[in-house]
Amino acid sequence: MIKFTLQVRVKQSEGALVRILGVTRRRRFDLLHLTADTTEDGHFLDIQMTVQADRAENTLVRQIEKLEDVSQVEVVDPGDAVSEHRAARFTAC
Amino acid sequence: MKGAEFLVKALEHEGVELIFGYPGGAIMPVYDALLDSKIRHILVRHEQAAALAADGYARATGKVGVCMATSGPGATNLVTGIANAYMDSVPMVAITGQVSTALMGTDAFQEVDIFGITMPVVKHSFLAKTATELPRIVHEAFRIARSGRPGPVLIDLPKDIANTVAAYEFHDDTNEQIAEASAESITRAIALMRESSKPVVYAGGGIGMANALDEFRAFIATTRIPVVATLKGLGALPTTHELALGMMGMHGTKTANHAVQTCDLLVCVGARFDDRATGRLNAFAPNAKVIHLDVDRAEVSKLRRADVPVIGNLRYALKALACKLPNIEPWRRECTTAKETHTWDYDAPGTEVYAPSFLKSLSDRAGDDAIVACDVGQHQMWVAQHFHFNRPSQHLSSGGLGTMGFGLPAAIGAQLAFPSACVINVSGDGSIMMNLQELATLRRYDLPVKIVLFDNRALGMVRQWQELFHDKRYSEVDLSDNPDFCRVAESMGIPAFRVDDRAEVSSAIDRLLAEPGPVLAHVLIHQEANVWPIVGPGRSNSEMLHQHEVAREVTR
Repeated sequence: MIKFTLQVRVKQSEGALVRILGVTRRRRFDLLHLTADTTEDGHFLDIQMTVQADRAENTLVRQIEKLEDVSQVEVVDPGDAVSEHRAARFTAC
Repeated sequence: MKGAEFLVKALEHEGVELIFGYPGGAIMPVYDALLDSKIRHILVRHEQAAALAADGYARATGKVGVCMATSGPGATNLVTGIANAYMDSVPMVAITGQVSTALMGTDAFQEVDIFGITMPVVKHSFLAKTATELPRIVHEAFRIARSGRPGPVLIDLPKDIANTVAAYEFHDDTNEQIAEASAESITRAIALMRESSKPVVYAGGGIGMANALDEFRAFIATTRIPVVATLKGLGALPTTHELALGMMGMHGTKTANHAVQTCDLLVCVGARFDDRATGRLNAFAPNAKVIHLDVDRAEVSKLRRADVPVIGNLRYALKALACKLPNIEPWRRECTTAKETHTWDYDAPGTEVYAPSFLKSLSDRAGDDAIVACDVGQHQMWVAQHFHFNRPSQHLSSGGLGTMGFGLPAAIGAQLAFPSACVINVSGDGSIMMNLQELATLRRYDLPVKIVLFDNRALGMVRQWQELFHDKRYSEVDLSDNPDFCRVAESMGIPAFRVDDRAEVSSAIDRLLAEPGPVLAHVLIHQEANVWPIVGPGRSNSEMLHQHEVAREVTR
């Protein structure tokens, strides 16, 4: 099992977050932690998610980065990119 | 102008000629707008057939197929066809009516969340929220559907948005240029090719979709690397080409599978290491390094690590990689000799029609440009094995999803695209019943599709697996209570005739091809006919089972 954290920026569009979570589940990555917040201009959603799986990081990174509205995907150290007080918290599924 | 008129006008701007669909409550504004459009609407008899016909149209033409349905059950009936297009990377735009925005989320009559339902099987999707954004959505949908690795895009259109009056704003969404492979990857790939003494090209459906047939053939002509094909890669080289070793995988040729299992370099071109092609993955091409050419970065190293990924436009990459490889001559001779040695045996005992032999004769006589749409099962594999293809767009087959019922609607889509082409639907007695209602569509538009219905009174592929891998414990595969298919066809205005002796095959093919309109040949075959060879589930492609070997095991 490997565990890693992804930072994703996606255009605020119908179902954007659900689409990313759907790809994550379908590709057999378990979600452990998720924070998401709208950027100040309101155009994007910044998502930080920690997942674990038996599969390589790149399997998920490549699948998320090809989604139409995703502009950025990076593997990061947890807690790096989104400050906790600004982030809306979701319960992990 | 109303939103629905925006939609139709934007479709016209995209050059749409045909829409396959079925009307209903929430989509009625669009059907109203279609009355004033030059776009031709094809009324199918089940929405699934609309999506599959749009898919067949897209596969045969390379253009984006368009299908349309109302909200609720109309939309859910499209889902199998959308998933079919997604799995085989077929460009499609699916338009669904939706209940009015004020009713969305209230469990209104014929409301389903089709946006949510289809999310796993679309390349992208849109929910229209204003009328003015509709032209932009339509143009983006077409761009996304056909760019890069193609796929289906859904547009969900609430009825009130379709009825909103606003001013039309034209948007032009030009196609993206696909990035070219890096110079570094090309250099590394050429170095690997030059080191190799036993290379094989593994040709997939991506070659046809990238419109890279010329570049692929030039690449093979220069390098002289032997080629194995996936189900969807058949026709990338003409079947009769000396370097075409045939289909690989579960029902592939001995020559193709042996070449892959013994090669030292696998050049994968627009394919995705599907389990039906690779057999047991960790035993697949065990001695080979891999060069993987694909436009979709996510496919590279997904299942088999690529030593050299070549990501980007296939046309460019194939041109850049074409180089002479003098070291491979002995290997090339070994492969072509094996191909000449292991030819198909069309002699079978008995007097019943032998499907492989029927298809070989049909292929020989249907002409070089015949288009074959098949369903799913044994007959699908026999088509892949025994029909000759000069280009992939002649072979319409549901590869990734394996959708029984694909063939007849796909043939309808192809025949509408090419009204004077010889379009053949090869089906089975299981599959034909999945979209049998479309015989009425054939009649309605008088489409001269030739249907070859192989009937073994069973779900043959499942029966075959139960025979070989489940100790002959036959479970729910008997179809001996099939209807009289000739009478069914005739009741829908389609001439039909029965063939039950191999002595009649030649005249049956004459009659089939001479019929000016639609026609169905009901061909009875042996109930226990199997597809050979076969690689058993979980087995390596080195462990192919051949008919005579299985017969010997039984005798022991």
